Formats: sequence, C-alpha cells, structure tokens
Amino acid sequence: MAISVFRFAPKTWGDADEVEAVAPLPLPSMASPTVILSALMVLFLLLFVTVGPLLWKQSPSQQWLSQISDGASSAYSVRIVSDNGAWRPSAKNDLPRGLTVHAANTEYVRLHWPKLAGVERYRIYRGDANKPGLGLAMADTGDNYYQDRLQLSREVYRYTIADAETGLLLFAREVRPEPAMSAFEAQLQGLIPLGGNEEWVDIPAHPLGTDALGRDILARLMAGGRTSLFVGVVAPLLYISFGCIFGAIAGLMGGWVDQLAMRFVDFVVALPFLLFMILFRVAFGIGPGENGIMPLIVAMLMLSWPGSARLIRGQVLALRSQPFVEASRIAGVGTSKIILRHMLPNVLPMILVAFSFAIPQAIFTEAFLSFIGMGVSPPTTSWGALCNDGIKTLLSHPRQLLLPALLISMSVLAFNILGDALRDATDRRSGVVRA
Amino acid sequence: MLNFIAKRLLSGVITIWFIATATFFAMHAVPGDPLTQEKAMTPAVRAQLEARYGLDKPLFDQYRLFLGNMLKGDFGISFTQENRRVNDIIREHFPISAILGVAAVLIALVGGITAGSVAAYCRNRWPDRMVMIAVIAAISVPGFVIAGLAQLVIVAMNNAAGKTLLPVAGWGSVSQIWVPALVLGLGTMAYLSRIMRASMLEVLSADFNIAAKAKGVHGWRLFFHHQLRNAVLPVVTELGPTIAAITTGGFVVELIFAIPGLGRYFVQAVQQLDYTVIMGTTVFYGAFLVLVVVLVDISYGLIDPRIRLHRGRS
Amino acid sequence: MSLLNLESLQVSIGSVQAVRDVSLSLQPGECRALVGESGCGKSVTAMSLLGLMPNAAETAAQHWQFAGRDMAHLTERDWRKLRGNQIAMIFQNPMTALDPTQTIGAQIAEPLRIHKGLSRRDAKKRAIALLERLAIANPAQRAEQYPFEFSGGMLQRAMIAMAVVCEPELLIADEPTTALDVTVQAEVLCLLQEMRESSGTAMLFITHDLGVVAEIADSVSVMYAGQTVESGSLTQVFTTEAHPYTQALKRAVPSLENPRPLEAIAGTPPDLRKPPTGCGFAARCSQRMAVCEQAPPPMSVGDSHIARCWLWHEDHPRRWRDKDGFTNASVIGRSRR
Ligand SMILES: Nc1ncnc2c1ncn2[C@@H]1O[C@H](COP(=O)(O)OP(=O)(O)O)[C@@H](O)[C@H]1O
Ligand code: SF4
Ligand SMILES: [Mg+2]
Repeated sequence: MAISVFRFAPKTWGDADEVEAVAPLPLPSMASPTVILSALMVLFLLLFVTVGPLLWKQSPSQQWLSQISDGASSAYSVRIVSDNGAWRPSAKNDLPRGLTVHAANTEYVRLHWPKLAGVERYRIYRGDANKPGLGLAMADTGDNYYQDRLQLSREVYRYTIADAETGLLLFAREVRPEPAMSAFEAQLQGLIPLGGNEEWVDIPAHPLGTDALGRDILARLMAGGRTSLFVGVVAPLLYISFGCIFGAIAGLMGGWVDQLAMRFVDFVVALPFLLFMILFRVAFGIGPGENGIMPLIVAMLMLSWPGSARLIRGQVLALRSQPFVEASRIAGVGTSKIILRHMLPNVLPMILVAFSFAIPQAIFTEAFLSFIGMGVSPPTTSWGALCNDGIKTLLSHPRQLLLPALLISMSVLAFNILGDALRDATDRRSGVVRA
Repeated sequence: MLNFIAKRLLSGVITIWFIATATFFAMHAVPGDPLTQEKAMTPAVRAQLEARYGLDKPLFDQYRLFLGNMLKGDFGISFTQENRRVNDIIREHFPISAILGVAAVLIALVGGITAGSVAAYCRNRWPDRMVMIAVIAAISVPGFVIAGLAQLVIVAMNNAAGKTLLPVAGWGSVSQIWVPALVLGLGTMAYLSRIMRASMLEVLSADFNIAAKAKGVHGWRLFFHHQLRNAVLPVVTELGPTIAAITTGGFVVELIFAIPGLGRYFVQAVQQLDYTVIMGTTVFYGAFLVLVVVLVDISYGLIDPRIRLHRGRS
Repeated sequence: MSLLNLESLQVSIGSVQAVRDVSLSLQPGECRALVGESGCGKSVTAMSLLGLMPNAAETAAQHWQFAGRDMAHLTERDWRKLRGNQIAMIFQNPMTALDPTQTIGAQIAEPLRIHKGLSRRDAKKRAIALLERLAIANPAQRAEQYPFEFSGGMLQRAMIAMAVVCEPELLIADEPTTALDVTVQAEVLCLLQEMRESSGTAMLFITHDLGVVAEIADSVSVMYAGQTVESGSLTQVFTTEAHPYTQALKRAVPSLENPRPLEAIAGTPPDLRKPPTGCGFAARCSQRMAVCEQAPPPMSVGDSHIARCWLWHEDHPRRWRDKDGFTNASVIGRSRR
C-alpha cells in the first residue's frame, strides 16, 4: 500500500473538540405512558366521586325492594295497582271464548276461561315460555278463573290449563306481565305520597344493578368513593403535616428534647398498626348519627405520623450540618428564614413522595377497617364497606364485591405508580423535581 | 452476641409494656364506662367484673390491677360469653391462627424469594414482566378481595368438575390450610418478590458476584453461597413487618374462610364490643408481634456477620 | 510458544463499542502492563479474557489462543474449568469484590474445592498456609473472619490469595492498587511480584499509573479508546515511545530525573457509542495529518515494537531515512520535544 506524500502533511482541523457531539443519555422522565395513564385514572376517580353524583342523581340509600340484587337494568315505568286481595271476574264477562287474560302485571296475572262440560277441577300450570314443558303446577281449582300472585317478574310465561283428573290439556297462552307495584309498596318506598293515586311511577335505570337491599350500585360506588378518597387524602395530609412539624421541632431543638421525642416515636412505631387502628376505633366509638369518618382519621393520625417525623428530623439534622446552612447562620440569617430558604425546598419533594405513597396506604387501611365493620357506619358508606356488603352475596352475585374492589385496586394502583414516578423524578441530593 | 440479644429482649419487654398501657388507656377512653353500656349482662357477671377490674377504684389502681393480672397471664373473662376466660379463648384459637400464619409466611417467603430471583435473572424478559405484573396486581388488591376471588374460583372449579375438588371454607384438612394460607400470603409474597428482585439485581451486578464467577464458581453453588445469601438480607429485615401484615391479614381471611382462629374471634369481639377479649387479644397480639420483631432482629444478626459481630461487641 | 495470543479483539455492549481492536500477547512468566485512561476498555478486555462479559455483549476476535487452545469457540463448560484455575483475576476494589457473607478462609479455599476437588479441611489448610505466605499475622484466626473485619490492604492480599491459590498460568490484575492507600500500595505490589515470580505465572497488569508500570512490567501495551495503540517491551515503550498518545501520557506524569512542566492532554476521549472512523486519537493529536482521517493499522516501529499511527507508515517521509539504513525510532520521538 503506497500513500502519496501529501497525505502526510500536517493538518489542523480547527478546534480539537470538533468531534461530533453525541446526544446525552435521556433523563428519566415523568411523562411515561403508565404515569399518564395513572394520572388519568386518578382524574377519572376524582371526577367519578365529585361530578358523578351531580350527573347520576339517584340516592345511594334508596332501596328498590322490587329489584334486589338485580343485574343491570334500564329505566321503565311501573303501574301502581291497588292491592285488593282475592279476585273473581265480574258477572258480565262470564263467558270468555278462550283463555282470557284480564290483567297481567308483576303483581298479579288474572286468567279466565270458559267452563267446559265434564271437567270438574282445573289445574293451572305456569312455565317459562322459552322452555319446553308445563312448568310449575300453581293450583287446582273448581272455578274457571285464577289469579296468580306468585313472584312474578317481567319475563314471558306460558300458562296452561289442564283437566285435573285426566291431565288433558285444555288451554294454553303466553303472557308477559307488565311492571307493576302495589300502592302500599310504592307508598312504603316513598314513590307516591300517602293517599296519592298515581297510576304510573318511573323506576330509574340501574346501569350496574342493585345490591342485596335493592340500592343502586352506581350511586353507592360514587358515595363510597367519596368517603374512601376523602379519608385517603385527608388522613395522610393531616398525619404527614403533624409528623413534619414534630420532626422539624425535634430536629431543630436538638438535645434532650430531640432524644425524648425520638424515644416516643420509637414506641409509637412499635405499636402494631392495624391492631391499634381497630382498638382506637373502638375506643373512640361512634355516637348516634355520626358517620365514623372522624374517629377513623384521628386514629390514623395518632398512629401514622412517626414515619414522616423521622424523615424530616433526619433531613433537618443532615441539613443543619451542611456548610451553606452554617454559613447563613453565621451571616446572621434568622432560623425561620433558614427553614424557608434552605430546608423547605430540600424536604418538600420528599414530603410529596411520602404523601403520594401514604394515599394508597390510607385507602387500604380504610377499606380493611370498613370491611371488618370498624370503619364508617351506615348510612355512610365507603368502598371497603361496600366490599363488606358484597362479600355476603359473593357466590350468587359476585358483582357486588368485585365492583368496589375494582375501584379500590384502581386507585391504589394509580397512586402507587404516581408515587413511584415522583420518587424516581426526585433527585435525592439536589431535591429538585425534574418534569 | 449475648449482649445484643439481651438488649433487644429488654427493649422488647419495654415495648410490650407500652402496648399494654396504650391498650388500657385506649379502652378507658371509651365513651362511658364499658360496664354501664346497655349490654345484656347478668348481675352476677357484672359484680364479678367490677370486683376484678376494680371499676370503683381510681384509674391508677385499676391500671395497677390490670398490669398485675396481665403479668400473671390473666386477661379476665369474656363479656359476651360469660363462662369463658380470655386466656382459654386465646389458648384454644391462637394455635389455629398460628398454623395458618406460619403456612402463609412460608409460602410468602419461598414464593417471594423464588419469584424475585427468577425475575432478576430474566431481567426485562417475559418471566420478569409476568412476575412484575402479578406483583403489581397482588399489591393493589386488598386481601379480603383476594380471599373472595379465591372462593369464587374454587366454587367455579368445583362446579366444573362436578365434585368438591377443594373445600370453599372451614378448617381441618390440609387443603383447608394451604388455600387460605396462599391467599393470606399472596400480598406479602408480591411485596417480598419486589424486594428480592431489586436486591438480587444489585447482587448480580455486584463486584463480589463477578469475582466469584471469575473463581470458577457457577450454577447452584454460585446461587446459594454467594447470590442468595446476600440478596436475602433485605428480605429478612422485612420479615417483622411481613409477619405483622400476615397476622392482621389473617383476621379477614379467617372471617371469609370460616376458620376458627383467634383473628376471627378478635374481629367478632370488636364487632360485639367485648372489651375484655379486645383488651386481652390486643395485648397478646402486640406482645407476639414485638417478640417476632426481636427474633427477626436476632436472626438477621445470625445471617449477616457484620451485624452479628458489631452489635455483639458494642 | 506464547501463552496468550489475542489478535484484534472486539467487544460491543449494546450500542457501546467498548473494545474495538485489542491485540495482546504474553509469554509464560511474562508480566505485561496494559495502560490507558479510565474508560478506554481495559476492564472490558480483562473480563473478556475470562469469558465473563454480560449476555448482551458481543465478542469477536481474529485470533485468540490461550495455552495452545483456541478460545473463540470455548463452551461455557470449558470456560468454567478455566476460570480461577488457569486464568485468575484480581479485582480493583477488594472492599466490594469479596463476598461480605462468607469468611475469608472459605473464599480463598473455594477455587481449590471447585477445581482441585479438595475437601473442606484440606482446602482450608492450604488457604491458611497461603495467607501466612502473604504476611498476614494469625492466619488461622484471620481465615475465620469476614471481609468487613479486614483493612483494605489485607483484603487485597486475601484477594491475591484467592487468585493464586490454584496456581494459574495467567493472572489478570485489574488496577489492583488503585483503591488502596499509597502506603499499602507498594506492599501489595511487592507481594504480587513475589507470588508471581515464585510460581512463574504470567501476568496482565492493568493500570493507569505509569510509575507502577516501570516497577513491575516486562512489556507494555497502551490502550486508547478501545484499541491498543502501542505495544513493546518496557524500554521500547518507555524510552522510545512511538505513539503521540503515549508521548502525551508521559508528558502528563511527573518525573524526578527530568523535571519539566506537566502537560495535561487537551480534549476528551471519543464517545465509544459513536467511535470516530479515522484515528481514535486524531481529535487530540498534535501531529495529526490528512491521512489520519483513515484508521491507521498497527505499524512496526522496531523489533516487536508496534504503534497504531500513520507517523510510522513506511511511506511517511521520516521513515525514508530508516529505509536508507537509519534505524532510529527515538529520533522521531525526540524530535517533537
Ligand atoms: N456492562 C457494561 N455495559 C455498558 N457499557 C459498559 C459496560 N462495561 C463497560 N462499559 C463501557 O465500556 C467502556 C470501557 O469501560 P472499562 O473497560 O470499564 O474501562 P476501564 O479502562 O476504565 O477499565 C466504557 O465506556 C464503559 O462505559
Ligand atoms: S494516526 Fe495521526 S492522529 Fe492518530 S496518533 Fe498518529 S499522527 Fe496522531
Ligand atoms: Mg476499569
């Protein structure tokens, strides 16, 4: 290989650092898809419990006795029927041509058929129209009419009249009862005023069905979520604030005050958390008419503050010995100013991270206590209390447990992911949040 | 080492005293006197209780009486079940809770360590992803929901099979132990596998791991002698909180699976405001948990020579 | 026959081309120093020699022979038999390279148990004997202690014991004294030299400290940005340094015999995620030429003295004299001063 001589001539390429600049490694950023998704999830939950009840105006404690543990249903009207016991057809329509239905609603179905010679007793069968077979034998009667009042619902029935002796089938007819409610029941539920004589009443839709007491699950989820999220946010807010103040005082005072305070913290930390939550909750009791949220928050406050107290105290002690704080002190800057200027910006991100992890913890705690019946007291409800209701009908109607459980899990997951992201974004040394 | 154990035991005793005191005063903060509430109670029982707890005496004397009785290991008699002593209740039902708890802790430990190690070994590949998704799911679902779901699954399985593969609830047979134990340990297992994964990742990139490989150490020997032993240390420190979580988690699991353990009894007592049982059980559980923490501390010292020797000498 | 013969090793870890072109050869019993700035790929080279690169790394070499074996196609099983037995390594930081949960004795005995199949007791005995040779007082008692109870210098001695316990043919020492106090450094070096000489082990001594090189090495390879840029015997590289990088390196080291102002090397090494296509040192080289836009191949400077620099191309004007019978590498090296 021969290289021409001029190629060996010295060459200057301008600056020595003219090398191509390589993009720096990307910093971890908070704007990952999971984080955005969780933020949206939190937003959704907050809107669900605040704006939700404004849009979905059903009362969470209204019991629809006609719809107990129902699945999803749409809105419909109900006829109010008077509840007048026994029935017999009036004389003028004594001779129907075939099997006649005088009335068909979910309160009663009235059947009338012509008397046939040679048949002494009639047997009435009721079956599901979509299934083969006669179904249930309802009654044997010598009359040529029958009133069925046995747990009717809004499906299509097939009534069959047979000769009770020979079993010969005489008439058959399909009937779809219309929704109805007795006036008594309607008044009981407050759907019509006492003594009122409305003919029709509107039953609203239940998009998520009703619970074991016939209450609208959607409305209850909204109401319950309000309690759960309120406790989940307010309790950590309170105990972290208290812990911060306690820790800051201990750290700033130093000496025996600090020693004593930290011994106390050690003991509170040693208390088994949920056990004492229950104990305090019992001790505070709930007076009549109270919803039990306050005792819950107070109990949480009493047991949960030491974590942030330790955190802040450690930070204060670490910062106190930092040269820049010493320097400000020597320069004659007041304590409060030092706190505001130097300590707050340093510890604030940590508090934020602690707070975002405390929220799911508090939601869990509230759910646990409400689940064992030591949380909020009825009629106030929460997601945990809803789970408590739901577990009783778990095997027949799992929806009633799974729906509130899903919301609890969603909120816990979302807050945890946000907390993780916040922690990653918070640079421990500089205490700066990178957006 | 002995010195260290003695120190930890002493602080444990003080903590138990603190728990007992906190329990006593918490119960006395109950609005009204627990005995004057409108509980159905025969006058005989009431008299007995008043004498035992010295309710007519000043608070401090009551406190002394309570501590004295507690030292004698006597927690009094139940409010709601007049002829049962709290001691008997604990003695009868705690072993059941203990069996369930130990099984759950074992499942959580073995499962968490295994899952965490596998995830760390397969970092960012599908086993890791699957473990992490399972972990996130298990951490964000409350224990009582997991228990409910487990029952649903068992019922569905039994229906599909047309016979009873697994009992849905109850106590006695082996499958009536391990199913609730698994349910009880699941959340903790998830938590532990997260810790284990992080610490195992740290160990896998640690110098001593590479140095061990450079010596020719490989396979299970590398895993057990060098990696596991170091990676498991953070898991052991979490054992105390883990057992506490499993103990309290046991309350609902026992409730849902109809297991006659002390946890279920405690929850029932709480719901019925059976003060003596609440008080006795709280102190008992508190003492138990403190003891566990002390034991974990000591065992941590046994595993980690740095702590064993340092603390022992100081 | 040489013990190790490595030609044109290339290792890329993900997008980083950590080692681009490294050639090394070692005779049995030889001590070769591998010198270079930190981040130039020395440790990666060492780990590759042990077959210990992470799975994500891709390793390739034109020619790679160790003790007469072709290393390029070694299975993991063969590697395991080699590691700690025929090739051993001393790590930079003894504080982190020893397992904190195992006793020193057990860790030293471990290679014996694995490779020589010794019983626990025999291995322990050998370990204690070795510790004694490494001038550790109370070796039997010390062997039962844990790493955190040892000082840095003692840990490095334990580390050395761990490496030499199987009497390997090649010992790789990756900056073995960098993490130690200056007072301990000389002691550890001495011991290392002693162990090496008594067992006739070849050593690859990695360092960025030229002073240490002069003390211990027989031959030197200089690395820059993932390439060996110069290699030769100690005297060749130290007295007639041929590559502009080596020259700059030497000017950056204080010298007692020849006091002169120190010169730091201006600029920074290239980013190995996007290595330059031409000479790796071009951006910082004061003797750069037009031809340096092309990657220089290794060129012979003298007898087994090789430099990767266009200055030593046979067509370079200064080499014309050599062809006419002038054999004087030092003329060129010195002419720049
Ligand atoms: N495991 C790894 N993953 C990615 N890059 C690595 C890894 N190990 C080393 N490198 C990169 O390889 C280059 C050489 O590193 P190294 O061999 O450790 O340098 P040194 O010469 O100081 O020992 C560096 O740029 C480093 O960033
Ligand atoms: S090849 Fe050119 S740029 Fe590279 S070291 Fe030699 S003279 Fe300098
Ligand atoms: Mg290195």
